[in-house]
Amino acid sequence: MMEEILHYTWGAVVSFVLAFSVGITFMGLNRKVTARVQNRIGPPWYQNFIDVVKLYSKKSAIHHGTMHHLGPAFLMVSSVMSLLIIPILNDGKFFPNLNFQGDLIFLIYIMTFGPLGMALGAGQTGNPNSAIGVTRGLAQMAGFEIPWVMALVALMIQYKTTSIVDLMNIQAETGRWLMFSSPFAFIAAIMAMFGMFRYAPFDIVGAPAELASGPMSENGGKYLFTMMSSGSVFAFAKLTLYADLFLGGADNLPELVAKTFVLYMIPVLYGVVNPRYRTEQAVRWFWGWPSFFGLLAILQASFF
Amino acid sequence: MEELKKKITQKITDHFADAAVKKYEGNRVDFTVKKETIPAILFFLKDEMGYNHLSHISCVDWLEEKEFELIYIVWSYTDHLKVFVHTRVDRENAVMDNIDMIWRQANTYEREIKEMYGIHFEGLEAPEEFLLEDWEDMPPMRRDFDTHAYARKTFWDRQEARSDAQDVRETITKRTGEEIPDVAKKYSR
Amino acid sequence: MINDKVSQKIVDIIQNYARKHSLWVLAYGTGCGAIEIPPTMTSRYDAERLGVRGAATPRQADVLLITGYLTTKTLKRVIRVYEQMQDPKYVIGFGSCTINGGMYFDSYNTIKALDRYLPVDVYINGCMPRPEAVLEGFAKLQELIQAGKADGSKKYKENLEWYRANQKEVIPVWRMPEFNW
Repeated sequence: MMEEILHYTWGAVVSFVLAFSVGITFMGLNRKVTARVQNRIGPPWYQNFIDVVKLYSKKSAIHHGTMHHLGPAFLMVSSVMSLLIIPILNDGKFFPNLNFQGDLIFLIYIMTFGPLGMALGAGQTGNPNSAIGVTRGLAQMAGFEIPWVMALVALMIQYKTTSIVDLMNIQAETGRWLMFSSPFAFIAAIMAMFGMFRYAPFDIVGAPAELASGPMSENGGKYLFTMMSSGSVFAFAKLTLYADLFLGGADNLPELVAKTFVLYMIPVLYGVVNPRYRTEQAVRWFWGWPSFFGLLAILQASFF
Repeated sequence: MEELKKKITQKITDHFADAAVKKYEGNRVDFTVKKETIPAILFFLKDEMGYNHLSHISCVDWLEEKEFELIYIVWSYTDHLKVFVHTRVDRENAVMDNIDMIWRQANTYEREIKEMYGIHFEGLEAPEEFLLEDWEDMPPMRRDFDTHAYARKTFWDRQEARSDAQDVRETITKRTGEEIPDVAKKYSR
Repeated sequence: MINDKVSQKIVDIIQNYARKHSLWVLAYGTGCGAIEIPPTMTSRYDAERLGVRGAATPRQADVLLITGYLTTKTLKRVIRVYEQMQDPKYVIGFGSCTINGGMYFDSYNTIKALDRYLPVDVYINGCMPRPEAVLEGFAKLQELIQAGKADGSKKYKENLEWYRANQKEVIPVWRMPEFNW
């Protein structure tokens, strides 16, 4: 009993360190790729590590009350919980995780819990920029959740299971990735991924030029450090979830990093060449073609 | 262009007896009127002659003659002709009529002139602080306000130049072998 | 934690390395020199190689760029912005108007020496300095940070009465909130 708890705790710590480093490297690579597309030399690929250390070493931490102080902690809790549920490698030996039946539905809930806590924290500052940014973020989340949940529901109907580990085992048994067995769900999920990552064209929430960076406008120093770390951990968790569900999981770490990198380049390269959508345009886009593909996925799952 | 200028000159001198004309080359005509006729002549220009764009209201400080001169510049889109209307206002008690019922943007120009020169416009709404904040001295664009003395008193006085300071033109001309022209020699150290 | 000189020195080295390679500049153009900032940040004279990035709010920024002249109206707002930034913070003065008044030396409205109202770390001279000069200014600030000499914020806290006396001399109506440091 004691050994199991120790095993799980060790697994959680190692998963967190891995997710943190890979997530921060990917954010640095995003800046490098953006710079190269714009015909200039960008920052080095380890730039975000330096940013994170600098934010941690700020001397004063100014906050406006208890809820504002706890706001970034809610984000971190949400990211770490999602990371613990998602299986990182195919066998659970080195990175154990807490899977159970029905954890896909639990995951959908946990992924939306973080921004809500952040909204409470931003509301206490009294800054009107934070309030508007938070409402825009939540409205956009109402946009992309529709195709995302439709894709997952299609998967659940087709294979009659609600556990991530079962879906990975089906891919291992039949030998075909779910990308090919349920293609409409894959397309709808990829289109919903644009909204989750909040790169262009859906970055109206936290952009510095709009609205003084929205919900993050009153956080500086160590709070920003917490938000950046939780953002990178969450990004790695989402990418690993996509790799597990649609691309057949990974047997060893280099394969996982390669698959997540390929998936990560899709929103980055699409975002580099696009301007920004307003909130109502973004929501209208999400309820258009991506929902159509989600509907096709559910029809295909029920009748074929 | 010449017929248009002749036409406008004829019309203005017919309707307003005290208008003095001065013609310029190109697309510009100047009139000088008394200050009480200003609303009437501007209404006339806007409604009947088609000069419906007010470009600017400018102010000149004639310190020796003890007068302010106000210049209203209007432009016509159909004729492509600029008309300048000049008036003189007394410097001691500077009061003038307000024309922002004709063009709404005259409000901004009149507020600036009130703050910078001190001319009082009757019936001007919202005369609060516009460009200067918490200013209690005399209106700063008047010519008898010594701005250099004020700057030296309030802010830090610039120190004397260093004894080994060089004039950059001498340095460059020594290198290239040219001559500094006589006009510019007056400003050398 | 062991609090002796050697570990303090190691922590200082790591912190200074991180601070000098990731300077976040507040996107606020106070004067006419702000027109030289977009060329420095975009493709030709890329400032992002040094880690310099634009930040949206004073709470997230490190460096405040005073680009050019400051009228008394703007000075009130800039003081408020400077006091909202978090330690350690740096101020860079652009152009000759911050050094000795520059072109507006006889104006009734602009301040003449920035060093009396805010602690300045680096001056960049020119009217306006070219992007190459701006990059050299950032390199000089990086050198100062590495040597541990860029302590404008400490100087401000210690000599607060002197700075406040100078500021109140120029701004007659003082309506500013109290900030926690």
